[in-house]
Amino acid sequence: MNEAGQLRWLQAVRDILDRSHLGTPQDLAGSVNAAVAQLGLRTRIWLVDYEQTALWPLPEPGRGTPEPIPVDGTLPGRVFARVASMPADNDGRRWWVPMVDGTDRMGVVEFEAPDGPVADVPDLVRHCELIAGLTGHLIATVTHRGDHLHRVRRTQPMSTAAELLWRLLPPLTSSSERVVMSAVLQPCYEVGGDGFDYALDGTTAQIVVLDAAGRGLRAGLACAVALAAIRAARRAGRGLSDQARMADAALFEQFPDTRFATAVLAELDVEAGRLRYINAGHPPPLLLRGGRFVHELDRGRRLPLGIADASVQVAEEMLEPDDRLLLYTDGVTEARTATGDRFGRNRLADLVERHETAGLPAPETLRRLAHAVIRHQPGTPADDATLMLVHWSSPAALTTVPKAGQQHDNGSRA
Amino acid sequence: MIEPILTVATAAPAPGVTVLSPAGEIDHDSHHVLGEAAETALRQGGERLVIDLTEVTFCDSGGLSLFVGLHKRTTAVDGELRLACPQPQVLAVLHATNLDRLLVVHDTVADAVRAASSRPDPAP
Repeated sequence: MNEAGQLRWLQAVRDILDRSHLGTPQDLAGSVNAAVAQLGLRTRIWLVDYEQTALWPLPEPGRGTPEPIPVDGTLPGRVFARVASMPADNDGRRWWVPMVDGTDRMGVVEFEAPDGPVADVPDLVRHCELIAGLTGHLIATVTHRGDHLHRVRRTQPMSTAAELLWRLLPPLTSSSERVVMSAVLQPCYEVGGDGFDYALDGTTAQIVVLDAAGRGLRAGLACAVALAAIRAARRAGRGLSDQARMADAALFEQFPDTRFATAVLAELDVEAGRLRYINAGHPPPLLLRGGRFVHELDRGRRLPLGIADASVQVAEEMLEPDDRLLLYTDGVTEARTATGDRFGRNRLADLVERHETAGLPAPETLRRLAHAVIRHQPGTPADDATLMLVHWSSPAALTTVPKAGQQHDNGSRA
Repeated sequence: MIEPILTVATAAPAPGVTVLSPAGEIDHDSHHVLGEAAETALRQGGERLVIDLTEVTFCDSGGLSLFVGLHKRTTAVDGELRLACPQPQVLAVLHATNLDRLLVVHDTVADAVRAASSRPDPAP
């Protein structure tokens, strides 16, 4: 691309950013479109809904709003699932590009060249990924300025507990150079007592999955209290045992009527692969090695959070490169069919093994697992189901990044 | 699906000892039935509670919360809570949550009642 061409793309990026300062969530789709018009392009932004089953178009004034597109069995869905751009036709006029915030999958952006193929841009898809990436970041920041983007992503109203919880959680997926962390929560509009957290700082990954006893808003509040106590302790530099003790104290103080939460608290040294963990009455995480379920991490046991336990001993496990750790709440394994058939741990391990073979990015493996759990039980799920996958692998981290961007990373990893 | 129903029978085999025998599923929707029976027993001075789990086919975190709550309640008034004869599913959740370390579990109701009765009365 010549210098004038480069400047036009720079100008488009600048226009999008300039407009974002005073923009409301409704303005975003129009601003991106206006900015790329000078490049001979047109965009449509599609957001994934909370249940991750369909992509929903952001409405734009003066432009019809198409029907939502299912994630399963469609090209845009595949772009979303694989985090990989794909052409929509053979003559280079339309592309679908993944839209992520960091590595958190937000949806896809549809690019179109209405006046014919854009000629002098050899790495056009990479440029489109730049625009889509910027849009993804902006969506993450402007979402909380208004309700518009929240509404687009919902197919039904949220319960108060779910509204509370979603605001507390970190992005569903975050990768670093060394590790992928991804999670999924169902039923997404009614989730109450389940929660997860992580922190990627330097060479340490901190991991929490928890399940507060009870249902509805009371369970959601207990989950919020426990999560906040764990975070506060962690951010004050306290270790795993102290984090659990802070959660004990906070739950005991706020819920003297015995509100407890089961949880796994873990920290992974992403350089050495040393995992330290405690398990407060929670289903033990599964360790997968070479794509196969190896064993459960069944040590480090203590009483559930909220019930003081002086005897806690932090357990240790050495991971091997490419190991995966699957954490889950009992709503996954306890999901039952009408005839009482439990989803169970073995089915869960089988499914993860199968998706491993398909080479899917971690968030896509989890999306499919969560849907399998939902499909397993008729009607409204009896309990929250949370899954979290930690994949200690640099190549796996790259599968969560839009593909064209990778080729321009430093050459050693491409 | 038929709504799960929980019924509770109450007996007082020894002074200060109450045996509660729930039958059915103890879950988020039903645990209050057992909770109310326990409250009645505690009000009437039966502060040593035995919960006979022989007829309990399922227990979720709602039931476990109730057990932990009753454990706290009874120990606070110098009483106690004993669980007896849990069936495989209930035993499994007690073990999975590590709560079998907090709650005393007996194989039979007779064992639990004997242990509860043999406990010396608190000093006046």
